[in-house]
Amino acid sequence: METQISLSNIQRSVWEGQLPLEIILAPAESRTFDQTDSYLISYPRLSYLPSLLPKLRAFFSSSLIDPNVQFNDGWFSFEGVPLKWHYPVGLLYDLYAGADPASKGTDITNEFLPWRLTVHFNDWPDEELVRLDPDGLVMNDAFINSVKEADFLRNGTAKGIMSLSKEDSSGLWKAVEGVDLPSFQRISNILLPPPSQSFRNIPIRIFLPLPPDSDSPSLKVVQSPLPPFIQASNLSASQSSAVKGSPSSQPQTMGTALHSLLPNLFPSRRTPVLAKPVLHGAVVPMSAPIEEVVRSSAYGDGWVYVVVRMMG
Amino acid sequence: MVAPSSTPGLSAFPFLTVKEFRHACCYFLDKIRQSEPPSGLGWSSIRLEEQGNGPILKISQEIDTVDVICDEDILEEPEDPQRSRLEALEDDPEALVRSADTSPRLRVEYDILLSPSYQVPTLYFTLRWGDSGGPVDRDTMYKYLVPEQYKKELMGVGVIGGISINYHPEHGTPAFFVHPCNTADAMMHIAGWQNLTPGRYLLIWFGLIGNCVSLQVPHEPFAKEVTQEPKVPQR
Repeated sequence: METQISLSNIQRSVWEGQLPLEIILAPAESRTFDQTDSYLISYPRLSYLPSLLPKLRAFFSSSLIDPNVQFNDGWFSFEGVPLKWHYPVGLLYDLYAGADPASKGTDITNEFLPWRLTVHFNDWPDEELVRLDPDGLVMNDAFINSVKEADFLRNGTAKGIMSLSKEDSSGLWKAVEGVDLPSFQRISNILLPPPSQSFRNIPIRIFLPLPPDSDSPSLKVVQSPLPPFIQASNLSASQSSAVKGSPSSQPQTMGTALHSLLPNLFPSRRTPVLAKPVLHGAVVPMSAPIEEVVRSSAYGDGWVYVVVRMMG
Repeated sequence: MVAPSSTPGLSAFPFLTVKEFRHACCYFLDKIRQSEPPSGLGWSSIRLEEQGNGPILKISQEIDTVDVICDEDILEEPEDPQRSRLEALEDDPEALVRSADTSPRLRVEYDILLSPSYQVPTLYFTLRWGDSGGPVDRDTMYKYLVPEQYKKELMGVGVIGGISINYHPEHGTPAFFVHPCNTADAMMHIAGWQNLTPGRYLLIWFGLIGNCVSLQVPHEPFAKEVTQEPKVPQR
């Protein structure tokens, strides 16, 4: 019960997380080149960038050289890198901004904030980004696909999300778009196995560090089925799932998961030596059981996206 | 005729492990390469690539759109196909030889990889006009790649139909993909009673998923030998 309360507290903090953004219009698209006022907003970390586009299109309306562009022509870049809009903005920040993860007691102001992004309405980078549509269907579809995948991993079948009513299915997306935690919880509780019943596999993706000075930093993502419990004996050999509560099983932690997937970057299961796992701008303790991490700190699509950051 | 073999071939049917998937791909590749004359229904290449999360079976195919395009279409969208066709011709030393052929060609790159979430083979694909054109949109894809009999069914499911556009899991670039979430159930229905080998699994998968996006497996190389596939080596 206590665990349950602290997990809900963590979830609330995660959902309350905000990121200050400063968005400028691409100078080449502005009548006043780089003299256009920027758009400032404190934006939920769990939200997706395209949801800002209608407001941005209106805000920059008088500055746009091409008055015919639609809001769904809009895309974002950071230091010249087009940002994949299907990732929540908090993840994009953890991936690209280069800021050190927060730790207890550190000043929240830093040189990386506000995060300075550029919005473009022309020259969609077709080779890099999936195009958006005015009705938001493409974005909704990408979200639901991601939800389905997480659900399949948790349950071993796609029946949960399939049996979700149409109302709840679109309600889930609306709750995430509107950062409405109570509505989100109501619907995601239909999908999640109850706390007494463990997941089959943990929906978690690991993003490897971007190589410095690379021209086209394509993201390297690692994913493999990770059961919530592993054999306590002979740790190194077994990633096979173990039955919860059996004497030989122990919870899969962030440390055991990272060590099994990336032994070179994480030679120890207990201590970060060369790299550390970052989630929602903070370092995840290596001892955290990953099922609890997902139950408390998943993004709106049910996934935990961990960014690996090199130390030193 | 498929006689169930005496040894079970798959450890977690209807799912595949990475090892079984690799085995199936190698088997498939060997069969295609050994066949005489080299078959492949006009595939321009087929190869196996090892990536971070496992193997990818890559098949390229050129689709001649001459049968599909009618005058009306050319009037509707004269720019892209024709322009990129011309650009392609400019750089092509053999262009004169082929100049009689004026139909724009679509180049399709199919990537088959094992979904780490669904643990079934998953099909990602991209389409371009010629070698230099940009990626085509969803409507063009449906028009030229999805046979008439599958269109209604595919367009009627999900938020935007059974074929989504998303990011290629290895390359991070936009690609179409066929939803894999029902693949395991479908394999169960089709072949649940059989003791499938990995190679046979992949062939059935091609029939299930490939056909709806014009990825057809030649029959000949596999006609006789379905029961002679070697077992997956235990490590």
